[in-house]
Amino acid sequence: MSEKITSEKKSQNLHDIANAALFLAVFVGIWQIVFMLGIWPTISMPSPAMVASSFAKIISNLSLPEGIVVTLGRLVAAFAVSIALGTLIGLAMIRFKGFGKTLNSFSAGLLSFPSIAWVPFSILLIGFNDFGIMFVVIMSSIFSVMISTYSSIRNIPPIYMDAAKNMGAKGFALFRYVTLPAATPSLIIGLRQAWSFAWHAVIGAEILMSVVGLGHILSVGRDFLDMGEVIASMITIFAIGLVVDRFLLYKLDDRIRRKWGLERHH
Amino acid sequence: MTKLQAKNIVKHFDHNGNSVVALDGVNLNVEEGDFICIVGPSGCGKSTFLNIVAGLETPDSGEILLNGKSISTPGPDRTMVFQEGALFPWLKVIDNVEFGLKMAGIPKDERRQISQRYLDMMQLTKFADSYTYQLSTGMKQRVAIARALAMDPEILLMDEPFAALDSQTRDLLLVELQLIWERTKKTIIFVTHNILESVILGNRVVVFKNRPSKIKKEIAIDYRRPRLMEDENLQKYYHQIVEELKNEVIAQIKDENQ
Repeated sequence: MSEKITSEKKSQNLHDIANAALFLAVFVGIWQIVFMLGIWPTISMPSPAMVASSFAKIISNLSLPEGIVVTLGRLVAAFAVSIALGTLIGLAMIRFKGFGKTLNSFSAGLLSFPSIAWVPFSILLIGFNDFGIMFVVIMSSIFSVMISTYSSIRNIPPIYMDAAKNMGAKGFALFRYVTLPAATPSLIIGLRQAWSFAWHAVIGAEILMSVVGLGHILSVGRDFLDMGEVIASMITIFAIGLVVDRFLLYKLDDRIRRKWGLERHH
Repeated sequence: MTKLQAKNIVKHFDHNGNSVVALDGVNLNVEEGDFICIVGPSGCGKSTFLNIVAGLETPDSGEILLNGKSISTPGPDRTMVFQEGALFPWLKVIDNVEFGLKMAGIPKDERRQISQRYLDMMQLTKFADSYTYQLSTGMKQRVAIARALAMDPEILLMDEPFAALDSQTRDLLLVELQLIWERTKKTIIFVTHNILESVILGNRVVVFKNRPSKIKKEIAIDYRRPRLMEDENLQKYYHQIVEELKNEVIAQIKDENQ
């Protein structure tokens, strides 16, 4: 029976891939038609083939591979700081109730604060360098980690805590074996959101502050009126965002939902 | 020998700024190996009383003595079976059963032995590696009972554990629980709003009354076991308790309509 389920799942996957491919083909087709209608000059609206050759160019002169490495490096480093600090502050919010309540009352403002609005502040405080960009990324994602840690733990059904205490769990063991696993499904949703904020922030900050990176390729493309390069860079950004969420964060989320028996909501 | 003694337990709740009396001086003695059922109308404080015995809530005044010693915090000597099971969805059935043993620092091999024994007793051996969402409500309650018994508690506390079950499953578990009680000689306090359930299970049925919430009457059920749902001879006990509760329920409805 499990074999049947696996093969069903496989054919479902194939079906999904076929649909995605069809969608992309239609999208590129419409793009080609719009190009051929000649509404915009070629400089504003290159053809798919022209963008492909821009792609080849920025790959062969290594500006794209280098950009990807630099951008992801900044992102991962800053995101790690966000997770570590955000989790600590979130736990402090749980531990010190008044502090938590106060900070939580600002959460809507903090979460909706546009990442780009940190850029001038960061330039004046830190400067046009890696740390300036990382600062923007940290400020853009840390609140999401912090608030999600706080609310994930607070929303644990009290009955789990009662049951655990009833069986003699307390102190760190209670945290490690009950609080943490009970909060995990919700923590991962927060993590996905924080990741998407961080990704927005790093590209935005690079457009305005950087000399290398994916965002920088975008701003160079604009400066040199090279729409092919701009679009190639945008496609790369889209693909990385998709791959990271789909194959890392979503997988993680999905695995935990299955284990908990939550997957039937999909 | 007296296992548990509740001395003049008083508890108030804050309800929209008003202080509501949940328990107004409850006194109860539970003997070693006793099977006590607490019945009463909803809101009479019977679950609050059980939570206080478990140490999950603290009384405003009064004292709980276990083997003569005062207790105020939760402890594995008084394990609870909750109404909704309260199993941990991130753990397999067997790890749920072993949770308390793990907290007590019992080594893994020994934990496995103990949990296997109780899984066998509750006929759950096949489901040891399942996650809880894969179980029916009745099986979940079986796991919860196995988990509570695995700790080898001084007292087993049960808070309406069969309230969410379909009637066939419940009838089955009512018999099983009596057999387990006879086999393990555990002291049990069982809270329910179902009168027939209390008559089937209890050596003694303690009837709680409402406003002020305290014990109205204790009725001894001196009858052979295992008792079955359909046994006509239990009817007289049933009616005796219904009589006791009738006025309580009427009073409560009046109260709520005001």
